Amino acid sequence: MSGTAQLMLLATFLPILGGLGLLFVPNEKREVFQKATVAIMVASFLLSVPLWFQYNRGSDAVQFAYVCDWMPSLGVKFSVGMDGISLLLWLLTTFTGPIAALCSWGNIEERWKEYYIWLLVLQTSMLGVFITQDMFLFYIFWEVMLVPMYFLIAIWGGPQKLYAAIKLFLYTLSGSVLMLVAIFAIYFLQHKATGQYDFSIASFQSAQTVQLIASQTKTFQILLTLAFFLAFAIKVPMFPFHTWLPDAHVQAPTAGSVILAGILLKMGTYGFVRFLLPIVPEGTKELMPWFLALALIGVVYGALVAMIQKDMKKLVAYSSVSHLGLCMLGIFAMNPWGMKGAMFQMLNHGVSTPGLFLAVGIVYERRHTRMIADYGGLSKTMPIYATIFMLMTMSSIGLPLLNGFIGEATILMGTFQTWPWVAVAATSGIILGAAYMLWMFQRVMFGPISEVNTKMADLNFREIAYFTPLIIVAVWIGLYPKPFMDIMDKPVAKLVMQVQPDFYKAESLAAKQAEAAKVGMHGMEAQEAPETKEHGTAPAEHASEPKAEVSEAHAAPGGGH
Amino acid sequence: MPSFAPGLWENLSHDIHYIWPHILLMVSGLLMLWPLDTWLLPWTKAEKHKWAIPTMAILVVSLVLSIYTPNGLGFSAMYKVDGLAKGFQVLCILASIFAVMLSQKVLGALVEHTAEYYALILFATSGMLFMCGAVDLVTIYFSIELMALCIYILVAYLRQQERGIEAGMKYFLLGAFSSGIMLFGISLLFAATGGITTNLTELNQKLAVVSQDKSLLVYSGVLMVLVGLCFKVAAVPFHMWSPDVYDGAPTPITAWLATAPKAASLAVFLRVFGTGFHSISYEWEAPLMLICGASMILGNVAAIKQQSLKRLLAYSSIAHVGYMLLGVLSRDAQAGAQAVWLYMLLYLFMNTGAFAVLIYLQGKNEGERIEDFAGMGKRHPVLAFSMLVFLLSLAGIPPFIGFFGKFYIFLLAVEQGFTTLVVIALLTSAVSAFYYLEVVKQMYFKEPAEGEVEPMDSYSKFLISTACALVLVGTAFGPQLLKWTDDIRWFEKEAPAVVMEFSNK
Repeated sequence: MSGTAQLMLLATFLPILGGLGLLFVPNEKREVFQKATVAIMVASFLLSVPLWFQYNRGSDAVQFAYVCDWMPSLGVKFSVGMDGISLLLWLLTTFTGPIAALCSWGNIEERWKEYYIWLLVLQTSMLGVFITQDMFLFYIFWEVMLVPMYFLIAIWGGPQKLYAAIKLFLYTLSGSVLMLVAIFAIYFLQHKATGQYDFSIASFQSAQTVQLIASQTKTFQILLTLAFFLAFAIKVPMFPFHTWLPDAHVQAPTAGSVILAGILLKMGTYGFVRFLLPIVPEGTKELMPWFLALALIGVVYGALVAMIQKDMKKLVAYSSVSHLGLCMLGIFAMNPWGMKGAMFQMLNHGVSTPGLFLAVGIVYERRHTRMIADYGGLSKTMPIYATIFMLMTMSSIGLPLLNGFIGEATILMGTFQTWPWVAVAATSGIILGAAYMLWMFQRVMFGPISEVNTKMADLNFREIAYFTPLIIVAVWIGLYPKPFMDIMDKPVAKLVMQVQPDFYKAESLAAKQAEAAKVGMHGMEAQEAPETKEHGTAPAEHASEPKAEVSEAHAAPGGGH
Repeated sequence: MPSFAPGLWENLSHDIHYIWPHILLMVSGLLMLWPLDTWLLPWTKAEKHKWAIPTMAILVVSLVLSIYTPNGLGFSAMYKVDGLAKGFQVLCILASIFAVMLSQKVLGALVEHTAEYYALILFATSGMLFMCGAVDLVTIYFSIELMALCIYILVAYLRQQERGIEAGMKYFLLGAFSSGIMLFGISLLFAATGGITTNLTELNQKLAVVSQDKSLLVYSGVLMVLVGLCFKVAAVPFHMWSPDVYDGAPTPITAWLATAPKAASLAVFLRVFGTGFHSISYEWEAPLMLICGASMILGNVAAIKQQSLKRLLAYSSIAHVGYMLLGVLSRDAQAGAQAVWLYMLLYLFMNTGAFAVLIYLQGKNEGERIEDFAGMGKRHPVLAFSMLVFLLSLAGIPPFIGFFGKFYIFLLAVEQGFTTLVVIALLTSAVSAFYYLEVVKQMYFKEPAEGEVEPMDSYSKFLISTACALVLVGTAFGPQLLKWTDDIRWFEKEAPAVVMEFSNK
């Protein structure tokens, strides 16, 4: 096992090990739990940071890999490793961990022991999802995640907590069990063709398997696609599977909302990127109009519903539906810009939405209400709070120079290339987003201030401490997204290759033609090219040649933007 | 040598080494009833519940014996020892050991401790051992009756209670009826194949070539045997007795009832459908698929409404039988047997664990209704956590072992092409999460009732937390479990018995 793989495993499993240690501390010692949990989360984050530097940005391979046999007769391996896509989300998770732990200090008033242990278990299971390279292991982490989340909401949540918790649990569980059938189906399909029992993600994504699936009947492919789609669409959540989200968010304690918004929802989009698109590209393309429609409805519907909310937390929850709908559009654009934009959107949403939930949590801790109407004029008594809230709002609505803009712009760019009209429609979601966020900000922060609100204290040191990293990252991505772009460059290129084997070929051809004609409009032709590509050409023959062209193809449009 | 049965003694002495564990169980049970209970016990002035200790010892010895019994076919090809027989025998004996452990006074089990109670468990276990190895419809029928007769009495053991009597009566009447149906089915098959054989292997060959005009005979015979067996495992629509019987029986017997007879009956199921009727699988596949799907759906849906945990576990056990029937359906009988065995092994642990918690609470008069679990997380943290693990495992949430069992059996079923049934199974298992979590909800999210709480004694604590630990880390031992399942196989050659060590190959 290489040193980096050790570091990765250590950072992943440190939280749960710490949780086991905390089992032996008596429940009364509240401070021990608070501090130990933050310390464990910070340690896990610090352990994860070196991987950012160690990651080889010039390769699209799975890095920090470690494989050992687990159940050889079934082809189940303990196989871990990360590529750029998982690395970014994995780092986002280790980054969110300390924040979630720190923001729980004020609002968790009972049963600290259980709370902090569940939080740590949740952290490990989420980190596990991003590092696993084996379907069996993936499924285990994917399901384990539900249990701590269920407890976090059901014990420390709001008045409707039991309903929200069981809804979350059953919704996600029923989605993922269908995925299990799909995994089995592919597993046996592979076995029939190769004689090998193999659960590794690499073999599921391999050209042979994809080819094999594509050669099955249309019904089979569509069922397979739907099984994966349901599991991930529920998690994202996409319209109309989003109904668990407002309940879960509103009822969850602040840390629960932060983790839900920051990481858990990304599991769904990650699933799309990691499993649905590379494994069943043909089936996905078959159903693309439906998926696009659902994503688009999500963007607009989420925004419209957010606008009429009276409860701040619910408003932010619905804004997630809208933002993730946009993210899905980027993924469904199936070109590098869309995918990269979607990745950015995942990161941005993982920074700004937790920020907003934290901000709501702060006023809730002080006044125990989340109704917008109960506030107003807070900027007078809480200036620091108002500033931070403003930054998070701006980041969420995509103001240039903050992170949100990069994601949204790139997604729209990508979507426009493939589905111009969808991109046009999606813009309305962004405009509405600005409307509801600013409207909320205005109603909460400005205007006359009521008697009760004048007594509200501004942020204390701890609260500023957990906002600071979020602000730093928001500004960093907004000003200089290149380091993030570099990490996802190759994996995204590989993904696009898997989904649209002809994409780079067509694009580089277009680029060459454009250069020859000395016309700078290559983007327009490249957009048409993928639609005219032939189905069923063996990807093997493209496998070697487009690799060389990838850098070339990137250099051309990359310079323009 | 008696002249009426020439060769009987030679036969017996030649084959007796196959059934030493059975004989041990039988003889020690008989000795326990008389003379030991009447003479030895008063002499040593020991209390009746001390019978548990020799019972346990006898069961452990028979467990070891049955593992090391050489493979082979004996008693005029009516009884066979192979990996399948041994594997399920181990499950039955383990279940009986657990039942004895759960019946302990310390645990507060509401059982009248008499020698008969333990002797009956031994007799029934011996019947189950015969069931696991029976390869002839006649031995199958006899061994089922041997087991069932003992269980009828054990179910009605709380004879002062109305529901105990009701349970015993119901089980007896329906059981006798279903045995009759099964026997009728056997005789129809016997007639259809020319009245020559009831041996499963031969029957398989005969059934494959049975003439067209006898097909109705064969079809009804197969269906009747299926009905009889489905009654034994309580599969829908032959499950009506099970919630009432489970409810009325003493709780340790309920825990036992949900595992041991089912393990033995599933062994028979696998044997009959995997060997005997294998050549005519088209006859029974569709009805069995229906039964399997209906068990999963009805078991899980009906469990939602239950108020009593005992009934809830009864309905959920119907659903679990539904999952296990997926393995019986498998066209690759060997692989099916392996998956069923693994599932049963894991189910044995998690189910017994859940019942142990229930028995403990009943014994402490804290009730058996689901509401009575309110606030258990505060009252008994260890107990509540163990219960959480058992329930999540029953629901099939990873990383608990229940997931592994489901994973393995569903994997097989998809391979065999029963995808629709697997989809039903998975969706209904999501439903099952709902009612299992109902209990979790009471334990952790509701306030406890007022009142003093007795601290747990070390026996119960040890028992329950050991089971919990096994269930908790079980998946990590997947490779080991798979190695064991590898040994659950038929041996094909009838002649020289190869010693197959069941454990740790």
